[in-house]
Amino acid sequence: MRSEQEVNRAVERYSDMVRRLCMIHLKNYADTEDIFQTVFLKYVLSSISFENEDHEKAWFIRVTINACKDLLKSFFRSRVTSLDEVLEQPAQMQEDYREVLEAVLSLPEKYREVVYLYYYEDYTAPEISQILGKKVNTIYTLLTRSKQMLREKLGGDEDE
Amino acid sequence: MNDKLKKAFDQVQAEETLKNHTKAFLYQKTNGYAQKKPATYRHLVSAFACIAIILFCGHWLYFTPTVEISIDINPSMELGVNRFNRIISVEGYNDDGKAFVDSLDIKFMNYSDAVNQIIESEDIASLLSNDEIMTIAVVGADQSQSAEVLSHIQSSTDGKSNTFCYYAPSEDVEKAHDVGLSYGKYRAFLEMQELDPNVTVADIQNMTMRQIRDFIDKCTKDGEHDATHSGNGKNEGNKGNGSPQGEKKRRGKPTDESQGKSRG
Repeated sequence: MRSEQEVNRAVERYSDMVRRLCMIHLKNYADTEDIFQTVFLKYVLSSISFENEDHEKAWFIRVTINACKDLLKSFFRSRVTSLDEVLEQPAQMQEDYREVLEAVLSLPEKYREVVYLYYYEDYTAPEISQILGKKVNTIYTLLTRSKQMLREKLGGDEDE
Repeated sequence: MNDKLKKAFDQVQAEETLKNHTKAFLYQKTNGYAQKKPATYRHLVSAFACIAIILFCGHWLYFTPTVEISIDINPSMELGVNRFNRIISVEGYNDDGKAFVDSLDIKFMNYSDAVNQIIESEDIASLLSNDEIMTIAVVGADQSQSAEVLSHIQSSTDGKSNTFCYYAPSEDVEKAHDVGLSYGKYRAFLEMQELDPNVTVADIQNMTMRQIRDFIDKCTKDGEHDATHSGNGKNEGNKGNGSPQGEKKRRGKPTDESQGKSRG
């Protein structure tokens, strides 16, 4: 079991990332809290020793995505909620950003996580393929398609 | 678009309440991050308990005397022998005995080596050459070990003059230590008391075995005038002084008679 300081450091460091991954996958805040508890409890109890920070970060991404998918799979959670509820927090943010996030969230799930990892976390396609356990070419395809879709939704004024 | 996406995602941050809830949840789930401590503590406790039990049993096995060897001349001493045939206690029962015991270093030795060392020692040799009598009593509840010890001692004292070996069951002499005598002397005391009820422990405490034997002989001789021989038959069953080897080695003729009489 890990020490309290270690866990608090991890919570401070990774909670934003976990929060964003939750936003990508989940539909309400209560579920997000569940995921936080699941992910960090897993961290507390795991005896895995990380080679470096990248390793640790990738572990958190993998565990969070899995936890989200497990949660969504369960029957009781398969409720439909409106997009507004998901963007509870972004509602207070600037219109520009809200628009962008809405565009991302409107993409099918498999595109969302790739977009997040590629554009925000700056992972390369091979790295993403490793984290998600998909083929590199699949990631390239997903990236190309999501770029297209986002361009359509956001007006396509700017490219990379 | 890169930039825009980055900034948009930047807006999404984990709320402080969410972080705090998570921390509180983890704290509660792990019992204040102390889950592991009681576990290791419990392991240690059981490990220590096992060690303690092993040590206790080992101590009991090793340090429980199963056979006592009582050696009396006038130095009167007792050797405690454990079930592994090691000497675990050496005790002197009178002043001479205590002084003699202090000069010995036989603890944890094999009993036969220890007995050899004692009977070969100068003090004992000089006492024996002064016509003193040495009795070696083997006392024990465990018949087989006692018999083994006795035969060992008999073979090592073979050919020595004025030396007698015998076996005494522990229940016969259990009161010996209460009155402050060694087993061997206590047996002699019982014998004397049978002949002369006025004899007390204090009288016998510092008497040599020779003196005791002479006393018994004297009483027996006195008794001979009063009574006819009648005790010989009974003496057969006696496990004590009448061991064949003891008799064979004994020089003083009167003592043989005394044994016969003493039980009469």
